[in-house]
Amino acid sequence: MLDAILQNLPYLLGGFLTNLQLAAFALAGGLFLGILVGLGRISKRPWVYYPVTLYVNFLRNIPLILVIFWFYFVMPILVGRTMDPFVSAAVSFIVFEATYFGEILRAGFQSISKDLVSAAYSTGLTYRQTATHILVPIAFRRMLPSMITQSIITFQDTSLAYVIGLQEMVRRTTIVDSIEVRSVQLYSFVAILFFIICFIGSRISMHYEEKSRKAKVL
Amino acid sequence: MIEIKNVSKWFGDFQVLADVDEVVQRGQKIVICGPSGSGKSTLLRCINGLEPYQKGEIVVDGVSLSDPKTNLYKLREKLGMVFQRFELYPHMTVMRNITLAPIKVRKKSRQAAEKKAMELLERVGIPDKAGAFPANLSGGQQQRVAIARALAMEPACMMFDEPTSALDPEMIQEVLEVMIGLAKEGMTMLVVTHEMGFAREVADEIIFMDEGRIVERGRGDDFFKYPKSQRTKDFLGQILK
Repeated sequence: MLDAILQNLPYLLGGFLTNLQLAAFALAGGLFLGILVGLGRISKRPWVYYPVTLYVNFLRNIPLILVIFWFYFVMPILVGRTMDPFVSAAVSFIVFEATYFGEILRAGFQSISKDLVSAAYSTGLTYRQTATHILVPIAFRRMLPSMITQSIITFQDTSLAYVIGLQEMVRRTTIVDSIEVRSVQLYSFVAILFFIICFIGSRISMHYEEKSRKAKVL
Repeated sequence: MIEIKNVSKWFGDFQVLADVDEVVQRGQKIVICGPSGSGKSTLLRCINGLEPYQKGEIVVDGVSLSDPKTNLYKLREKLGMVFQRFELYPHMTVMRNITLAPIKVRKKSRQAAEKKAMELLERVGIPDKAGAFPANLSGGQQQRVAIARALAMEPACMMFDEPTSALDPEMIQEVLEVMIGLAKEGMTMLVVTHEMGFAREVADEIIFMDEGRIVERGRGDDFFKYPKSQRTKDFLGQILK
């Protein structure tokens, strides 16, 4: 009863690897851009605050699948050449997830007292040094559970890239299914793999939540 | 060392500072008191360039804060500041709290910075807490670390914003002793506090502020015994009981 899976295992797992790779790019890029977005959202400079806020509000109000389509079909028109589905998907995810990580970090930054920031400035630290050593580390620690949860969502969402033909696991499963016609076992297998990764992730998130509650370090 | 000339500041329509004039000479200790909302803390924040002001001028060591060319970061290195609620970096050990600015701003080696930090911790009486996190220290210990952190940058002037008002009574003395020690060594100090015993002992000048204005200034015992204005009398009557 596992015949369809076993016969196509390397092919399917290869697809899963693509999901993991896409998630890795989305998280690394999304977090980095998210830090800048979060800082922009607490900026007192209007020429930073308003463009960043517009970007965040715009992207948070359209479905991810549309962003994926948009990059895949519109970018080639702007750039002048077709884009590799993986690159296109990675860019879409980074741009999209950065708004979510940015908003989580914004909440983290705003939980830091104004006087703590003043204390850092009063020792002569510059804005950049204060952001690097004080704001970002504290916001990361305080927001770790939410960030892990958002990372899990990002990982699940990587399967959406099948709409632009990316050879990730869901896409490959539909291909295998169209040949083997074993929908139940094939899609159950996909579900179980996603479940395992995400379940581990949510356990890690709970662990940190519990730990920070106990330690009260922050 | 610090000249405050006719400084006024508004938060929207509300005037927090009104024509404040004051000169702090090197080595002077000045205590600022007054009811809450009288602009004391705001004045310190303005001197440190943490808040803008709309009128007048503040000059620190010959450098004007209103001059757009002034590097505020550089200027703040000269002024140490201690806050009411300590404001230690919660994710760093006591040692890292103290050495962060010397290493990042002054580009000191970690070794040199840590050596200096140990001396300072020795001086504020808690050398055994170097590896502790702020959350594991008492309020009095946290405030002493905050003082050490400010001193690590070797400031020319130390500013204290109600350094003992968030402390339990039994911890106030340990912090005041550190401050008195600093005063005796000749540090220039600007202290917002209601600890009148401290004011009497160390202050060269006591300033009473109300509604953003300096209402009265005086020296030690004179200030307490013969306050001139009614508002100062009322205020002293309340806090001295």
